Amino acid sequence: MARLALARRFGWSAAVRPDEELIADALGGQTEAFSELSSRHRPRVERLCQRFFSDQEIARDLAQEAFLKAYAALSTYRAEMPFGAWLRAIVVNVCYDELRRRKRRPEELVGDFSEPELGWMQLVSTATPEELVAEAEERRESHDLAHKLLDSLKPEDRMVLVLKDSEDLGVAEIAEMMGWSEAKVKIRAFRARQVLRKQAERMMSAGRARVAR
Amino acid sequence: MNCFEARQDFKSFWRKELDAGRQQAFVAHLAGCPKCDGAFRIFALTAPVFHSDVEPARQELVARRGAASARGDGGAYRERRHAPVWLSIAASVALFITGASAAYFSVETPDETLSEAIHQPSQFAEVVSADFPEANSDFGQ
Repeated sequence: MARLALARRFGWSAAVRPDEELIADALGGQTEAFSELSSRHRPRVERLCQRFFSDQEIARDLAQEAFLKAYAALSTYRAEMPFGAWLRAIVVNVCYDELRRRKRRPEELVGDFSEPELGWMQLVSTATPEELVAEAEERRESHDLAHKLLDSLKPEDRMVLVLKDSEDLGVAEIAEMMGWSEAKVKIRAFRARQVLRKQAERMMSAGRARVAR
Repeated sequence: MNCFEARQDFKSFWRKELDAGRQQAFVAHLAGCPKCDGAFRIFALTAPVFHSDVEPARQELVARRGAASARGDGGAYRERRHAPVWLSIAASVALFITGASAAYFSVETPDETLSEAIHQPSQFAEVVSADFPEANSDFGQ
């Protein structure tokens, strides 16, 4: 702890301490150790929250809530699992609860599009694959539209797709995390993809109709 | 590259993880396969959320940054919001009036002037004169 304080004070590069060491210190009552742990994992946690919620304030709040829960439950952490994976399970549950709390209805989602969103839809229809990748990095509307589309899914479906496609988790891992059977995860993923494809087609045809008007 | 391989590569292509040869084969396959091309375009609708590490800033933020940079302040746009000048002035005036009023009404003025206080008979004299009338004569009253 003194080494860390000195390193901070004089700008020295403190040796990176393993998560387990910080957890032990945090459990011993050193809150600064948990602060270091949370700042280490915060970017990944916030990014995961942003895959569920487009509003960055909400994503930050949920990340904070997840860290508070992690701190409260730190004594239950077992070192057989990497801390990042344990934390991810908490984040996923916090986001899942929030998604369910909001309970959006699909029909209210595919509706109005802003001009930049229509422009992005047109680009998705016409640009080359390389152009799409390059443009998506620059355009905020590509994210907004993606969130609109994902908002049309049920919380369970969205959860499965994020964990499977974005976090690259296996069926067994998702099943354990969500407390579902593996069969349920597979069925959910299959149905979610079907719904997503239909919604994407609806969205694209609605966009084309708007542009044609 | 067949359709199965191409679809396996959607994610890697988006994340720019394919080597040059594989990328070329991927693009060539999409150009010749309308089904995979359509699937990739649907994939592209959600990929910005699923497969990007950083979200670009909102447009208005970019515009403000651009304006700041065009004004010549080095593009060092800060997120802080400054209150308009008129609001600062109005707040200062309101604060001054409130403070002055509070100061004015909080000062207690004496009920009587100094000369009234001197010439007012003391309570002691009243007590003495009431209980001992003869004492008054001693003092020539």
